[in-house]
Amino acid sequence: MESLLQAILSGLFVGSILALLSAGFGLVWGATGTINISHTAFSVAAAYLAYWLTSFGLWGFFSSLIAAPLLAFALGVLTYRSIVRPAAANVGELGLVTLVSTLGIGVALENLLAAIWGPGPRVLSLPISTEAIRVLDVSVPTSTLLAASFAWLGLIVLWFFLYKTYTGKAVRAVWQDPVGAALYGIDRDRVTDVAFGVATATAAVAGVAMALIYAFSPATYIEWLIWAFLIVIVGGVGSPLGTFISGLLVGVISTVVGLWAPFSWLPVILFAFLIGVVLWRPTGLFRI
Amino acid sequence: MTRVTRRALLRTVNLVPLVALGSFAWGQGTRREPIRIGCTLPLTGPFADTGVWVQRGYEFWAEDVNARGGLLGRPVEVRILDDASSVERATSLLERLITVDRVDLILGGYPGTSAAAQMLVAERYRKVYISMGGHMASFSRGFKYSFGAPPLMGEWWYNGVWKWLGTIRPADRPMRAAAITLNNAIGQAVRQNMLEGLKRLGIPLVMDELYTLPLPSAEPLVQKAKATGADLFIANGFFGDGVQTVRAMKALNYNPKLFLQGVGSLIPEWVKELGPDGNYVVSGTAIHHRVPNPGMIRLVRAAKQRLGFDEPPQYFLFGYAWAQALEKAVEGSKSLKDDDLVAYLRANTIETIAGKLRFDERGLPEPYEYATQVINGKVELIWPVSARTATPIYPKPPWK
Repeated sequence: MESLLQAILSGLFVGSILALLSAGFGLVWGATGTINISHTAFSVAAAYLAYWLTSFGLWGFFSSLIAAPLLAFALGVLTYRSIVRPAAANVGELGLVTLVSTLGIGVALENLLAAIWGPGPRVLSLPISTEAIRVLDVSVPTSTLLAASFAWLGLIVLWFFLYKTYTGKAVRAVWQDPVGAALYGIDRDRVTDVAFGVATATAAVAGVAMALIYAFSPATYIEWLIWAFLIVIVGGVGSPLGTFISGLLVGVISTVVGLWAPFSWLPVILFAFLIGVVLWRPTGLFRI
Repeated sequence: MTRVTRRALLRTVNLVPLVALGSFAWGQGTRREPIRIGCTLPLTGPFADTGVWVQRGYEFWAEDVNARGGLLGRPVEVRILDDASSVERATSLLERLITVDRVDLILGGYPGTSAAAQMLVAERYRKVYISMGGHMASFSRGFKYSFGAPPLMGEWWYNGVWKWLGTIRPADRPMRAAAITLNNAIGQAVRQNMLEGLKRLGIPLVMDELYTLPLPSAEPLVQKAKATGADLFIANGFFGDGVQTVRAMKALNYNPKLFLQGVGSLIPEWVKELGPDGNYVVSGTAIHHRVPNPGMIRLVRAAKQRLGFDEPPQYFLFGYAWAQALEKAVEGSKSLKDDDLVAYLRANTIETIAGKLRFDERGLPEPYEYATQVINGKVELIWPVSARTATPIYPKPPWK
C-alpha cells in the first residue's frame, strides 16, 4: 500500500512539473497555430540562468524565478515578431513552416548555450536538494516538492491570465474564432505576441523547476520536448485544464506502471495511452 | 656516334642535375608535409560533454608528438569534424575525410554507436581504425582493420569490481542484488558483465529492471529495489539518470552496502555537480591516470602544466591512448600504409598509457580489470591492489 501511495505521490508531483512545461507549448499551438520546437530550449536556457544565479546563493535561485520569466517573455515576443510571424505570413502549411523555423531557433539556442557553458551536464543543487520530507513510509524529496510548488504557482498564474484578464480572454477568443475576435476589435497580432511571450515565460518557470529534479545540458531540450508533445496531444491542444490533467495522468502512469509491469514497458504503455486517447477523442481529452 | 645523337646525349646529361635537384626538392617537400589524420567527434549534441575530452586528448597528443619531431620525421595535423552526436553524420563525414579529403590516417570516434558504425566505413576503405569500438558485438564482425586500444567494453566493465568483491569474506559480501539498466547498447553490454559476475560470486539477482530515457522519475525503480531488501544496488546507466538514482536513493533512505553505477560516475561533472552525495559509488574503468603504465606519469605532469588538470579526465586519456596506439603502429612499421600498420599491430605488443596491448584476431587486447570508487570527491582506483590509490570504503555509509 505504501508503495502505491509513494508512486502516486511521486507521479502527481512530477506530472505537475511536466504539465507546466507543456502548458505554454499547447497555448502557442492553439492560439497561433505554431508548433514551437524551441519552447523547451527556452526552458533549458532558464535552467542555466537559475544555475548561474544560484552560484551567488539561495537568494540568487529565487531571483531567477523572477528574472527568467521576465526575460523569457521579452525574448518570446521578439522571437515571434521577428522570426515566426514573418515566416508564417504567406504560407499554407503554417504548422510545417513554424515547426522548421522554431527548430532553427532551438538549434541556435542549443549551440549558444553550449558555447557559453560547454556541453557538459549540470545539476541545480540547493542546500535542501537532497533532503526529503518523510511521513510514515512515504518520502517526498524536497527538491521535487519545491519544483512542484513552482509548477502549481505557474499553472495558477496562467489560468488566472487566461480566464480572469482581458488579454487572456482575448487570447482565448482568437484561439476559438479568429474572425469573430477581429470583428470584436481584438488586435490579433498583439494578442498572439502576448500569447507567445506568456508561453515562453511559463517555459522558463518550468525550466527552473525541471532543473531542480533533472540534470540538463544544452541538448536536453529535445528530451523535454517529447514530454510536451505527449501531454499536449493527450490533453487537447490549447486547453490548460487538459494539459494539467494530462500531465498528472502521464506522471502517475510513469511512476505506477513499474509496480505491476516491467519498467521497460513504460514507453509502450504511455504511447498506447496516447494512441487510445487520440482514437477515442481526436482533439484530446479537453477543448479550450 | 652521329652529331644528332651526341647533341641529344649532351642535352640529356645536362638535364640530369636538374632532375636530381628537382627530385631532391620534391623529396624534401614530401618529407616535411604534415601527416593528415582525420576523425569525427560529437562536439555538439547529447554526447558532446565527453566528445570534447576526447578532442582534447587527440589535440594534446598531436602537440606532444610534434614536439618530439612528429611521425616518421613529419609533423602531424589532426582534423576533427563535428558529427553533432549523430551516427549518420559520423559515418558520412568519415567517408568524406577518406575519399575527398584523402587524409593519410584516421582516428576513432565517440560514442560506441558511432564508433561501431565507423568501423564499417574503415573496413570498406581498408583504413586502420583505433577506437573504443561499440562493445563486443562490434569486434565480432571479423574486421581486420579495427583495434580497441583500449576498447570501452561494457562486457569487461565491472571485472575489477568482481575481483575485489571476491577478496571480501563471503559473510561480509552483499547477499542479494537489485539492478536497473538503461536499455541501450551500452547498458546491455554492462549488464552482461554484471550477470556473469554475480553468478560467479553466487549473489542472486532479485530485481532486474530495464528503463529508457527520458526517465521521468527514478523513485519507483529505487523503491522497488529497496523493497527487495537488496544490499547490492547496480545502476547501469549514464550521468543524468545516475543523478536521479542517487537523489532517489537518498530521498527514500535506501542504504545498500554497495552501490555500483555504470558510466556516469566517471565524468568530472559527477563529483563537481553532486558533491558529497556522489561519494562511495563504485564503477569500473578502462584506464586510470594513477596506473603506472608507460608514459602515464609524464602525460599527467604535462597535462597539469599545460592544461591545469590535477587529474586528467578519463576521456582525455582515452583520446590520447588511441592516438598513441596509432603512433606506435606508424613508428613501428615505418609506414603510413594501412596494411603495414595492421600487420605490425597483429604481430607486436605495443606500450601506451593504456598498458601493454597485444591484439587478438578481433583487434582486442586482454580484458582489463579495474575498479574505481568515488571517495571524498575523487575517483580513486581500488583494484588492482598494486595500483590502488585509496582503500575502498565498504560497506557504504548510510545517508546523512
